[in-house]
Amino acid sequence: MNLKKPGSSKPEPGSYQPVMPRNWWLQHRYFQIYMLREATVLPLLFFIGCLLYGLYCLSLGETQWQHWLAFMAQPWVVLLNLLAFSASLFHAKTFFELFPRVMPLAPPGLMIAGQWLATLLVATGLVLLLGGWL
Amino acid sequence: MNNTTQPKRSDEPVWWALFSAGGVCFAVVVPGAILALALLPAFGGISADNLSYPRISALLHDALWGLAGLAFIGSVICLPLFHAAHRIHHGLHDLKLGGGLLSKVLCYGSAAALSLLAIYLVS
Repeated sequence: MNLKKPGSSKPEPGSYQPVMPRNWWLQHRYFQIYMLREATVLPLLFFIGCLLYGLYCLSLGETQWQHWLAFMAQPWVVLLNLLAFSASLFHAKTFFELFPRVMPLAPPGLMIAGQWLATLLVATGLVLLLGGWL
Repeated sequence: MNNTTQPKRSDEPVWWALFSAGGVCFAVVVPGAILALALLPAFGGISADNLSYPRISALLHDALWGLAGLAFIGSVICLPLFHAAHRIHHGLHDLKLGGGLLSKVLCYGSAAALSLLAIYLVS
């Protein structure tokens, strides 16, 4: 009889040993998009880093705060934040499509539209508040 | 035979809950925050006067007795940090670079440390 304790055995000669190369996800479009979604957190981390730097500058006083505003206006910072903005929208699309499948409370299309509406309302509120219109 | 020992309770539900909460914030709050704090000021949609030191200080520390600032920090910094930590921890495993206890401690540990730093900076 070939009874083996799982995990503690050496492979039998000639037994099937699947090999998982590091770039396995490059071989199918579905997994490429999966990895792209995993990667959306990298530009997010850049934006969070900007905010932490901003909080630090704010705690130091007005001069440092002006430095932060100038930092945020540098082309490479704006470019990376543009990337973070696109990443957040891509993440939102995948996340919103997942919700009706995990918790089907209403027709999927309605739930997805409702979530985009929430994003739009929060964005409008923040822009109006910080832009001084509120 | 000793089968009376309790199975060890997994801590994974905590990380998955923080991941989900962070995912909601990343999808619903972060786009607006990037727009209002990074993109619109850079492209001239929001003037520097509205982002002046006294105004932002007041919004962050005094609006709604400081609760508005805390809610902003929580939904744009802390929870998204745990979301990012989770994705990086599992992404490292996908790339066969980690996924073990070390990457778990490093990922969630830095998310916790940076969250505490953010809360310390607004308080």
